[in-house]
Amino acid sequence: MTLLRQHRLASFLLALLAIVAFAIAELDFGMLFVGVVLAVLSWYVTEGPRGRTIPDWASNTLVVGAVAWNGFQFLMRGEVVDAMGVLGRVLVWILIVKLYARRTPSEEKQRFALATMLVVAGCLESVQFAFGLLVIAYTVVAVWSVMLWRLARSAEAARASRFATNGFAPPLEIAIGRRVLPQFRGLVAVSVLAVLCGGIGVFILFPRFAEISGGSGGRGRSSVTGFSDEIRLRRGDRITESRRELFTVRWTDPDGSPRRLLRPLLLRGAVLSWYDELGERWVANRGEAGIRTVRTPEDGKFATLSRGVPADIGPVATAQIEMRSYATEVIFSVYAPIAIATSEPRSIALDPSTLILRDVSTDRMSRYWSYELQVQQQPSAEVLDALTAGSDPTERALGFPVEAVRPIARSILEEVRRGGNLPPEPGVDTSASERFLYGREVARAIVAWMRTNFRYTTDLSAFPRVEGEDPIVSFLARYRAGHCEYFASALCAVLRSLEIESRIVTGFIAIEYDESAEQYIVRESNAHAWVEVRTGADAWMAVDATPEESLLQLQERNRSFVDGFRWIYGRLEFLWNSRVVSYDASTQSTMAGRVGTGWREAVGERFSQLLARMRAIAAELSLGSAGGAWFATIAVCISAAGLAWLIVVFRHRRLRRWLRLGTESPIEQRRLLRDAAFYVDALEALEAAGFSKPTHLTPRAWATALAGMDAVVGERFAEVAESFYMVRYGGIRTSQREATTYQSQVLALRAALRQKRRGNRVD
Amino acid sequence: MADISTAPKRRTRIITAGVVYTLVVLIVGLAAGTRPNNLLIWVFSCLLAAMIASGVVSGWMMMPVRALRIEPRRGRVGEPLLIRYEIRNASRVIPAYDLHVVERVNPKLLELAGEAWVMHVGPGDRVHAEGVFRPLRRGPVRLATFEVSSTFPFDLLRKVLVFDQGAEVLIHPKVHAIRPAILSRVTAGGIGGQRLSSEAGGSDDFFGVREYRPGDSVRQIAWKRLAGTGRLATIERSRSVPPRVRLLLDLRAPTSALKVADGEVARELEEEAIVLVASFLALADRLGYEYSLSVAGVATPPVSLRRGHFHREKLMSVLAAIDLDAARTTGNGLSASDERATIVVVHPDRTDTGIAPATSWHFTARQLDSLLEPASGRETIA
Repeated sequence: MTLLRQHRLASFLLALLAIVAFAIAELDFGMLFVGVVLAVLSWYVTEGPRGRTIPDWASNTLVVGAVAWNGFQFLMRGEVVDAMGVLGRVLVWILIVKLYARRTPSEEKQRFALATMLVVAGCLESVQFAFGLLVIAYTVVAVWSVMLWRLARSAEAARASRFATNGFAPPLEIAIGRRVLPQFRGLVAVSVLAVLCGGIGVFILFPRFAEISGGSGGRGRSSVTGFSDEIRLRRGDRITESRRELFTVRWTDPDGSPRRLLRPLLLRGAVLSWYDELGERWVANRGEAGIRTVRTPEDGKFATLSRGVPADIGPVATAQIEMRSYATEVIFSVYAPIAIATSEPRSIALDPSTLILRDVSTDRMSRYWSYELQVQQQPSAEVLDALTAGSDPTERALGFPVEAVRPIARSILEEVRRGGNLPPEPGVDTSASERFLYGREVARAIVAWMRTNFRYTTDLSAFPRVEGEDPIVSFLARYRAGHCEYFASALCAVLRSLEIESRIVTGFIAIEYDESAEQYIVRESNAHAWVEVRTGADAWMAVDATPEESLLQLQERNRSFVDGFRWIYGRLEFLWNSRVVSYDASTQSTMAGRVGTGWREAVGERFSQLLARMRAIAAELSLGSAGGAWFATIAVCISAAGLAWLIVVFRHRRLRRWLRLGTESPIEQRRLLRDAAFYVDALEALEAAGFSKPTHLTPRAWATALAGMDAVVGERFAEVAESFYMVRYGGIRTSQREATTYQSQVLALRAALRQKRRGNRVD
Repeated sequence: MADISTAPKRRTRIITAGVVYTLVVLIVGLAAGTRPNNLLIWVFSCLLAAMIASGVVSGWMMMPVRALRIEPRRGRVGEPLLIRYEIRNASRVIPAYDLHVVERVNPKLLELAGEAWVMHVGPGDRVHAEGVFRPLRRGPVRLATFEVSSTFPFDLLRKVLVFDQGAEVLIHPKVHAIRPAILSRVTAGGIGGQRLSSEAGGSDDFFGVREYRPGDSVRQIAWKRLAGTGRLATIERSRSVPPRVRLLLDLRAPTSALKVADGEVARELEEEAIVLVASFLALADRLGYEYSLSVAGVATPPVSLRRGHFHREKLMSVLAAIDLDAARTTGNGLSASDERATIVVVHPDRTDTGIAPATSWHFTARQLDSLLEPASGRETIA
């Protein structure tokens, strides 16, 4: 049986898909390679010409070994947050072992359960588009596989039950109808469609109580470059450079001409001012104090982000940002934006202490949008005053909790001081402006020193974690190599230890410029972290310790021909992120509101249009007040005609089925539909009374059989059958008189059936 | 004729896999509700949708399925009893898959040896499936209802159609291979031995002459008669008839009145006696004898001496229909008008020569094992 043989392939594909999905979710390409190779090899070993499987004891031993080894690894150096990853890896190895094991019904069930658990574990690890696609593919293959499994299992059980009788029962001959394969495919398609449609329905309606996080996921041993509003210094050994196109930036000078800036464009997304020593991470201070919200107008005009911004601020540049594949509420902007314009009305919140913008609109369905920002290339004091109004004046970005950084910072300062002429260290009576100047100069000097003495790398596997030592200390004193997060963290830690106010900013660095389109292309790999040093009461200056040339080299190294086609994937990924991953309670309620009002508006609009058209026709034809009655009459006539047409169509369809008119000529078909309808009426009357005519019996034989059950009914139907033979095979057109006779025979049959029914009731 | 289009009763049954699946769905749902992860919600949605789709697809699939039991007339203890079913899919669109047919029958009478299973019935198709049963006891077996069920597509629910189609199957007694020499000994030279029939047949002995009928062999034409009368005539030869044996089952004594040894059960002795008679009948049929059956103590229809498959089945049916719980009657079951034949009497417990003429042969149920062919033991013969 071809159909039953497909089951093994479906089962194998399901397991393979689960392994690939989990490896993608974990971004563990080693596991992906090894898992796929072992799985494919298992297909050859178990289903190949020799068809070997490993014995049960070996399978069980390997499973226990996999659990023990991974458990041991987890206990020795695992983190609680990676528990799901460890569980998934255990499941992968067990699943691979099971692929080599003997195929019994219980093994098949276990394999299916393992694959499903693996996908669920992957869901807890990742929300990436590629993984999402694999989950959908898994759903489809799972439906196919389960349906095949059901058939194969039943066939095996039926065979086994007969085999167990030791030859008493004859072997099973599988009973099948015609066209089993195409019909099975059709049913699978229907089931898949039902599951997917139902799944989408449940997904949309599922109550969401918590805020959905739309992060890039991937909390495995590796991580992908991308914006984050926190920095975890222990996140991964290796960073995978994602070339996904996120958005484009067109920088326009005050004179209206687009151009490329001399320095890379830093687009701020989050300000991290607090270091969590225990968690070894930088986090944002999420204060709600002083946050201002503005609503952008519909016509695409600029909305000023603060009322205090003077009208005559002089020439301003414009940064036009167009989202390509990124769905986020963060609005990336250069420092100190003055005004914002959006492609559609949005609510924008400005945090005056950080000057970070966020989209706080409740409607998050359409996050694919563009916006423009007006900025001064050198923000003036008035503008900064206006923008930062309402921020906490006492907030200071000073001090660093890790004591070990302080002596390192002092030694760095001394080394830097030896290399150049820095202003003297501020005393107690030093003015604020001198302090700010000192801080700026020290920051610049340390940046220059770091760029010379530190090495940029995204591969940290050669720099293992030192127990009990903060990663910033390790970076500064031990390895002197890392990526931008380490550079920024170290610079900020050193500056703070030297009592210079500073904070970390995360966002993107725009360095790839498309000359033909005259715009920057910002990719996921352009996610960046840098430092801001306070240079005034409300002013901050960006300093970036990461060597710029290293970033450019990295950019060039990763460039490939695929970049030209990446936008297709990017669009799909954007849809995935905006419509699926970030679908939350607010989007749900917005959509419900839209649907609720939308259909009412649509129906109401159509109805009013119809009424208006009817009035126009009535006026055109001068029908006056009788117009309504005329239209009602016409509507009733059309409805009646439609109903009659439906009745005729269904009756003809029924007659064709009963009379089997498939091979007759069209003329003969028309004749029989007209003349032999009485016979079908008779058969239907019999069927309604519980006497369904078996297809293998001729009308006459059926009449004889009926006579055996009820003499009168049989006799009446015998008359009908004789008439039918005359009509069907006589080849003569039925006269009106004959037609009446035939109808009377049917009536007599109906009467006999009624009589029989009454008789039964009396009994 | 049973009506195949009669609407069956519909049932939905929960199965273990469905319960486990529901628990898994609940756990995933709980996780999806508490953890803000849309992919987890998607997995939960698909799991839930699969449950709904399973119910909808299986309901849609089973709705137009109709079944008809093609009644078996008889079975035999120890031999497979095949019950066939005609499964029809009246739908014009959707096929039906994985249909199990389960007969609701007393398992003490019929033991299931192989269920009837249909993998696929296409739209408008009729497919035949057969279930195999092992009859355990002689006698009539009442078949009342049977079920057509399926857990397709996702094995979460069992949709059941219950068809109420009454029928009765008569289970014939078991037949053992008895040594042929026994029957040939008891009939040799006796009144039931080989002899010439009073009817025309195919031997060499002259029987008579009759008018020629088209189709008669040229070799059989009476040429002398033709020469004398000028009309064609055909010579008829006599035929030899096989030995005759009349089997008499002695069931006059009620079960409780039988004399049984320690460890013996009276009812089993009676059943053994019936089996012995059935085995004699089968042997007589195999040897080409004419045979008949009389049952003393139980009212049975009179049967004349005949041979052949249908006659054997008729007598087997008589044996199968014997109700040992019914009140016993007196008389030996023989009548004066019976044709002459060797009489073989089978008693359940002990011999009673008074039941039949002195020339009769008597056996008891306890002798069954000693009468069997050495190689066969208690193997059943067809």
